[in-house]
Amino acid sequence: MSNWETLFFWMTLVIYSLASGGYIYSFVFKNPRFMSKVTVLISAGFIAHTIAISARYLAQGHLPWAGDYESAMMGGWFIIAGTLYVGWRNKPLQALATATTPLVVIMMGFGVMRNPVLTPMAASLKNYWLYIHVYFAWLAFGGYALAMAAGVLYLLKRKSELRGVVNPSYERFPSLDRLDELIFRYVVFGFITDTIMICAGAIWAKDLWGSYWSWDPVETWSLVSWIIYGIAIHLRVTFGWRNSRFAWIAVLALSTVIISFFGVTFVIDTSLHTFQVR
Amino acid sequence: MANKLLKPLMSLRFTLLLLSLLGVMFLLGLWIPQRSMVPEALYSQWKLHHPALVGVFEALGFVSIYTSWIMLGLWAFFFINLSLVMWQRLPLIKKRIALPEARLFDPSASPGYPFHASFRLPEEITGATLLSSLRARGYAIVGGENGFYGVKNRLSPIAFGLFHLSFFLILLGGLMSVYTKFAGVLELAQGEVFQGDVASYVPTPQLPKIGTPPKATFTVASIAPQMTNGTPTGLKVQLVDGHGATHEADVNRPYKVDSSSFLVTNVGPAPLFVVRDRSGREIDGAYMKLHVMGGKEDVFSLAGFHFRAHFYPDYFLKDGLPATRSREFKNPAFSISAERDGKTVAQGVVPPKGALAFADYQLVLKDLPYWVSFSVFKEHGVPIIFAGFAVASLAVVWRFLLYRREIVGAVREENGERHLVVAGRSEFYKSLAEDEFTILFTKLSAKSGRANT
Repeated sequence: MSNWETLFFWMTLVIYSLASGGYIYSFVFKNPRFMSKVTVLISAGFIAHTIAISARYLAQGHLPWAGDYESAMMGGWFIIAGTLYVGWRNKPLQALATATTPLVVIMMGFGVMRNPVLTPMAASLKNYWLYIHVYFAWLAFGGYALAMAAGVLYLLKRKSELRGVVNPSYERFPSLDRLDELIFRYVVFGFITDTIMICAGAIWAKDLWGSYWSWDPVETWSLVSWIIYGIAIHLRVTFGWRNSRFAWIAVLALSTVIISFFGVTFVIDTSLHTFQVR
Repeated sequence: MANKLLKPLMSLRFTLLLLSLLGVMFLLGLWIPQRSMVPEALYSQWKLHHPALVGVFEALGFVSIYTSWIMLGLWAFFFINLSLVMWQRLPLIKKRIALPEARLFDPSASPGYPFHASFRLPEEITGATLLSSLRARGYAIVGGENGFYGVKNRLSPIAFGLFHLSFFLILLGGLMSVYTKFAGVLELAQGEVFQGDVASYVPTPQLPKIGTPPKATFTVASIAPQMTNGTPTGLKVQLVDGHGATHEADVNRPYKVDSSSFLVTNVGPAPLFVVRDRSGREIDGAYMKLHVMGGKEDVFSLAGFHFRAHFYPDYFLKDGLPATRSREFKNPAFSISAERDGKTVAQGVVPPKGALAFADYQLVLKDLPYWVSFSVFKEHGVPIIFAGFAVASLAVVWRFLLYRREIVGAVREENGERHLVVAGRSEFYKSLAEDEFTILFTKLSAKSGRANT
């Protein structure tokens, strides 16, 4: 990591951590006024995050593409960008950050403990399909993470309503019906980008490894998560699964995406997707 | 009877079951060591320690799970199910994309339309203007201002068919690839000529069941490995084909000819070692493609001597022993051990143009070019598979982003004022569609407000 990157990376992590704490405070102490301030805080963190990425870009001459640290950094950036964008378009959705910010904090914390070393662009990564593959992977991750966040909000709000507890923080969320549709919308966005990601990856793999599909652990996991989200869409569209059931699917299914991104290469070092310098 | 058999096969529940089972099989493949993915010695050890478990897995084909009979059976059922579901859905798609016949549509008697609203229309907005505005926003309109039906993204259900059709394209391409696939590895040194003969591949290549091996002729003109701070950043290989044309290949940029891809995968030194006698006469010599990268040892024989070689791309002495500072080819040198009849007769470091003296001879490193390995593939199904990917990607975008919105509306007169009465519905979304319809009709009936809902 370059000095500027280190400085802004940790600044980002601290700001996001404070923001996560701010949301917890809002819910526990039923103080919704604090929420809008937290959004400002996240925006500041996002600027620091962008500077950290830019510093890394300047130091190594290419955008962060590979490895757990870079995946966490860019994946987190996409998730926060998506959160801020939907919150900017629709204010009640600012609350999505309640779930996405802690996720990004955990991801970035995990990433920085792995391999933050600056490396030049390896020969195996020099391909236009890589950009498409990786960007769509991050978009998919962002979409699924937002679906998870909307799912968490749905479940929290519903629980609160069922208990009859008045928490003004939940009042700032969109209605349950709207949240339910948003979960589906984000799942669909994730599924579209996931499909493109898998196709682009297969095309790239043909030129890099000679085979469009190798049953590599990361490939297999991403196929499993794609199938799970595909099943979720079928359950919704054809069997009418909505509300809590669908929210739980959106929350739980994200685990398969996290495993694809970080879990497989954490456990297995023989994956073709490890992209270690050989 | 046939219907009874077909009914479960046609059901979407069965599809979901199959997808779940396929997912479980994929995960099992990650958990159970796959024969093609683990070294043979490791596999044998596993089998030795757990004979019963491995026996069961072998009987079920789980050690090659992705081509096991259970997996192939699941795929077969999946495609049968997909065909039947699509066959069942085709008339429905046809029905859904058809525009209804022109009649007097009534928004207030439109069950299944959750959005209902009425908008006061200013005088300057006529029924015809309204309908043309809707058409400009992508709505296909049937009827007139006294009662109309509109649909946006009418053909979107076709994307359902296209998305699932892409699976068949991928299957077709995959099957073609299986039967036409050639796979082999070539190791060629700088200056070496390849003339397409199968015997040049190491080891024996996988020959296609249908088709021929790659027909290619070329000479490796140059090999230039590139390293930056220890990271391999390129491996440029220049090839001159049979017609004298030059081609450049690199990692990620294979040389493509005759439906074949020559993928640059690895590099190593191909030194020209010669053995000279006391008078300086060369008595033996050859270019050796040594597999010594990453600290590996390789052996070669010249003039009746055996030589063990280690390679140091950026040689230096560390505590009196040869070592490499990095993997960059900055200061290459070999550590050579000369042997005869199993006894070491000499040992030393040989840089380019350097020599190792032993007995009455000298081993001279005359030249140090490189060899490069190519993974060679030829198969004919890939364009169909990629077409399948393209169709899948486009169809999923079409289906889920350009989903259908339907409206039924009429311009009515009430108390001397004209109102646009509308009912609307959308695929997938209700609340979000209500917002969209409200914005749409508020804009269309500009200068007016929503009167009631």
